[in-house]
Amino acid sequence: MIPIVSDLAPLLCGVLLAVTGAGKLFGRRTAQLAANTVLVRVLNDGRRAGQALRAVGAAELAVAAALLAAPRAVVPGVATAVLGAGFVGYLGYAKVTAPESSCGCSARAEGPIGARSFARAGLVLLGGVAAATATTAWWTEMIRRPGWSALCVVAAAALLLAVSADLDHVWLLPLRRLRIRLFGSPLAPAGGGPVPVAASVELLEQSLAWQAASPIVRSALLDDWDDEGWRVLRFAGVYEAPGRGARPVNVLFALDTDASIDTTASPAVRVSVIDDATDEMVPVDLLAGSGVRAVLPMAR
Amino acid sequence: MSHRQDSPERRGIDRRRFLTTAALGGATIVGASALGGLDADAAFAAPMPSLDPAIAKSAFAEGRITAINGSVLEVAGSYGDQHLIQLTNATSVWKLRPTTAEEIKVGDGLYARGVDMPDGTIAADAVWVNIVNLYCTVKGIAKDRLHLAHGAQDHAVVGRIVADTTTASYLGGALTSDLSRVRIGQSAQILGAWRPEDDAIDIARVTVGH
Repeated sequence: MIPIVSDLAPLLCGVLLAVTGAGKLFGRRTAQLAANTVLVRVLNDGRRAGQALRAVGAAELAVAAALLAAPRAVVPGVATAVLGAGFVGYLGYAKVTAPESSCGCSARAEGPIGARSFARAGLVLLGGVAAATATTAWWTEMIRRPGWSALCVVAAAALLLAVSADLDHVWLLPLRRLRIRLFGSPLAPAGGGPVPVAASVELLEQSLAWQAASPIVRSALLDDWDDEGWRVLRFAGVYEAPGRGARPVNVLFALDTDASIDTTASPAVRVSVIDDATDEMVPVDLLAGSGVRAVLPMAR
Repeated sequence: MSHRQDSPERRGIDRRRFLTTAALGGATIVGASALGGLDADAAFAAPMPSLDPAIAKSAFAEGRITAINGSVLEVAGSYGDQHLIQLTNATSVWKLRPTTAEEIKVGDGLYARGVDMPDGTIAADAVWVNIVNLYCTVKGIAKDRLHLAHGAQDHAVVGRIVADTTTASYLGGALTSDLSRVRIGQSAQILGAWRPEDDAIDIARVTVGH
């Protein structure tokens, strides 16, 4: 190990473990966080999982205190490395058995176990190994080489920032925003041509034609196609003719392929009801029950 | 877009031509309605009361598909209940887009609306496969996906953008294929299809600016 890194490792690991340990031990949400970790299944009890997470926090705090107070002792470094190895093993087990569970690592942000979780645990392991080989107390090293020490601390902080999701909003999101401002959105702008089918369905669903036909329509959109400027939307339905019983029908709507709720507030929709078995047009006065009389003559 | 054909392609095209003619021969109704729709969103709404009292009340089922026997789906509900969902050629199938029953796989999640039959099955009018409706924050934008955070704990979700399918709505405007106005940090409602294989979501619609 590089001597200055080894000598500062107790400080860096100590501060990191103090922060995460205190978060787990004293955090108000620890129990809630524990409920989403694989600990619940291992311990068979949500309350015990919370207690276990707090116990780990207490252990982290104890190790942190030892690291900071006795930087040249081997035991705190080894204990840190053991903690790190424990985290890696726990994450590996959780990843295999319950990949969607939360890691509970920093007792703040929650998220599925990913590369960042493993990187964090690996850093604790490496930091522990480095701390165990420290030969000079960190305060002596900082007084002796203040410039390099500051550089080391800044580099370590940057490394932790990069592997921690907690602080994404501080640096990652502004960076992503800047990239989009400089290079534009990577997503496609609107192409020309007809509106998306979803926009036609949206317009249809807000139309009087849809309201009038809704007692007959039973399915959601079954099929759609464009033909000479028209978009045809096919639905399945059931029509109960007075005295003739119910029969399955196709309900067809035809709209302008360019029309959407942006282009018209009062959509013109052609509606026809076709018997599914015989393909005959079923004569239905759709507007009879709707209280609105706005039928235009058939345009041809 | 969708290509539901009951017969070989040629006959499918002829059938569509026939239906186009029939559709254009129908009456034109002009005007707007205040009522909501029965499409994908409606899977999350209470079953819509029919305007026609003659139509039986809709039955509703949700759960994971445990087996597919011909046209019958065996569904294990989220609350320990069991459903048998009967598909017919009049059943609409949504899986990111209108599609056919062949796209349904064991393990998929499902919402179905239909009619209770005397034998205990539900004859489905419409099924929505793997449909999810999430309120998220946009955390990142890439060429083919949105990075999203969902819920109070900012659970990370990847939303995949599907060419010719993903649409966006801004400030209550019409759905458009223009996705370039989505911004990092915006709150977004994501309607899409969950992908069991990688736990991502194929986005059908992203709604922002409300």
